[in-house]
Amino acid sequence: MLEINNLHVCVEEHTILNGLTLSVSAGEVHAIMGPNGSGKSTLAQVIAGREDYRIIKGSITYSGQDLLSMPAEDRARAGLFLGFQYPIEIPGVNNTYLLKAALNAQRAARGENEIDAFEFMKIIKEKIELMQIPKDFLTRSVNEGFSGGEKKRNEILQMLVLQPTLAVLDETDSGLDVDALKVVADGMNSLRSPNNAMILVTHYERLLEYVVPDFVHVLSEGKIAKSGDSSLAGELDKRGYDWVQSKTENT
Amino acid sequence: MTQAFLQEQFRARIQELPGTETMRVARQKAMLSFNSSGYPTRKWEDWRYTDLKTISSAEYDPIPALPSANTISHAKQQVDSLGLAKDAKSIVFIDGYLKNSFGPLPATHEIEIANLYETAEHSIRSSTSAFYEGMPLAALNTAFSAGGIYLQVAADTIITAPLHLIFVASNEPSITQQPRVVINLKPGSQLQVIQHFIGSTPSISWTNAVTQITQEAGSTLRLYRIQDESETQLHTELLSSKLAADANLELGYVDFGGSLVRNDARIDLAGPGASCSLFGLSIANKGQHIDNHIHINHIEPRTVSQQAFRSIIGDQGRGVFNGKVVVQKNAQKIDAQQSSDNLLLSERSEINTKPELEIYADDVKCTHGATVGQLDEEQLFYLRARGVDETAARGLLTFAFANQIINRLQIPELKERVMREILQRLPGRQQWDELL
Repeated sequence: MLEINNLHVCVEEHTILNGLTLSVSAGEVHAIMGPNGSGKSTLAQVIAGREDYRIIKGSITYSGQDLLSMPAEDRARAGLFLGFQYPIEIPGVNNTYLLKAALNAQRAARGENEIDAFEFMKIIKEKIELMQIPKDFLTRSVNEGFSGGEKKRNEILQMLVLQPTLAVLDETDSGLDVDALKVVADGMNSLRSPNNAMILVTHYERLLEYVVPDFVHVLSEGKIAKSGDSSLAGELDKRGYDWVQSKTENT
Repeated sequence: MTQAFLQEQFRARIQELPGTETMRVARQKAMLSFNSSGYPTRKWEDWRYTDLKTISSAEYDPIPALPSANTISHAKQQVDSLGLAKDAKSIVFIDGYLKNSFGPLPATHEIEIANLYETAEHSIRSSTSAFYEGMPLAALNTAFSAGGIYLQVAADTIITAPLHLIFVASNEPSITQQPRVVINLKPGSQLQVIQHFIGSTPSISWTNAVTQITQEAGSTLRLYRIQDESETQLHTELLSSKLAADANLELGYVDFGGSLVRNDARIDLAGPGASCSLFGLSIANKGQHIDNHIHINHIEPRTVSQQAFRSIIGDQGRGVFNGKVVVQKNAQKIDAQQSSDNLLLSERSEINTKPELEIYADDVKCTHGATVGQLDEEQLFYLRARGVDETAARGLLTFAFANQIINRLQIPELKERVMREILQRLPGRQQWDELL
């Protein structure tokens, strides 16, 4: 589904990703871990189509398409979803409105009709309940006045409404207390199916106790320094990132 | 119109203007006043950014012909296009003339509605030199105004249905319309007025309007002024209001039309506890210039003023905002807030925004803030990452910016119409406007 090959990315004069290669297939959950500054968020942003980054070398193929040549909105319509690390507040644009616009843009790209209003409300109500979001949410502006936890739950709500083929969730777990983390994890797990995939970018192992990944990759200095199964996350938690970094230096 | 042309027209045609002999004397005084000052020029501090040369150098008929049957039927279509409810109370002016041909003036015993120039007392009282002092365009309106309306609400009377005053600029080329509105609210009364300035003339004409308001103790006025004239129209207006103790004024401006627009509001908070809340939205597209000059005078203690103005300036559009707040020595414990937020959509958009505070009291709360900027790139990316294309995302964010002012309109039908007008002026709306 997603093939990242030898990706080199710069911001201004700094190389952030330095030959990253990653392959994600349908049905898989990959966790990308790593210390601050290792390039985790850059990877998420580049996949989603942020234009502030310069691609020096390498390619990203998504369902057979050259992802890097597509604008951000086309990627979203093709079923790619970025869960923002810092969700943006948009005063004056209502949540329901954004959800509907996003969903219909996707449906139009697939050649489907706009969603029926009744059907739409049914989906929203169900997902709102799952994510334990207050009802007045629907009439409020996007993320305006939301607490940090509410913003993250809103990201997952959007994901569940849009049912992406590939979700890249950038530190959705940061800043959440245990209860909120469980709600968010339940949301993520409910999306898991043989047809879609998820990339969880996270700093901590805690989330991965609730959403157990098929693969864990450790990013260091812009490339994947180590990959393993879910047990790698636990090991990292015990031994710290220095363990991986010193190991790469040795080789 | 050059001063010489105006003077000549005034001398030759004063008999064509309505009103009593005493009113004519008042008009002559006003004309003298205008002659001694001339048009405001950019050397005047209050006119630094707005140049009236387009007006002062061309010839616009200061006393247009009475509207013909054709003009009236055309105007009627325009009024119909406002889509007001069948039972809406409305008063129509065409080219500055008060026109009751769409039906008699709406009359109730609770609200007095009269042709201003048919009541000597009201016309003369509203035309004193003290009123137009230092304001040449208001003096000019006093001299030439051919149509006016007088509204008075009796004490403790609450008028719930909004009264629509509709000013239609006809297709008659090169004319000046100078309507005048006088509103008097007796103690404890309440009124809602919506002023619509409309027109679709392809030629250049000039609207020079005056609204004079007196609010007695504890009265409440909501006045919305929607200016949607043709994009060739020149529009200047003065709204002045004097509020007695505990009176409240809510004043909302929306400006879409006009090539050169200058709105002046002068509010005197002249009784303890009087308050006013002003808001405005301007959309200036190619070649349009929209200037809002607000002057609020806190004369008495515990008076409150709020101003929230926003403008959206497109390519080669220009905006001006000047919010002056004066706090007199006696005006302790007042609260004055002001904000001016401006969205520039192009590198060739221009805004001049300036708060001006003059405070002579020592126990006051005054805040002001101004922002000037482009659309937020982070917000744009967020929308695009959800599948909204860039053009639509830009349109949507621009709409959201405007919406925060439009949401203040408390009359649902009006709010809806204004929203539609805004949507028409934004890019990419096909993708999202039906979702609102």
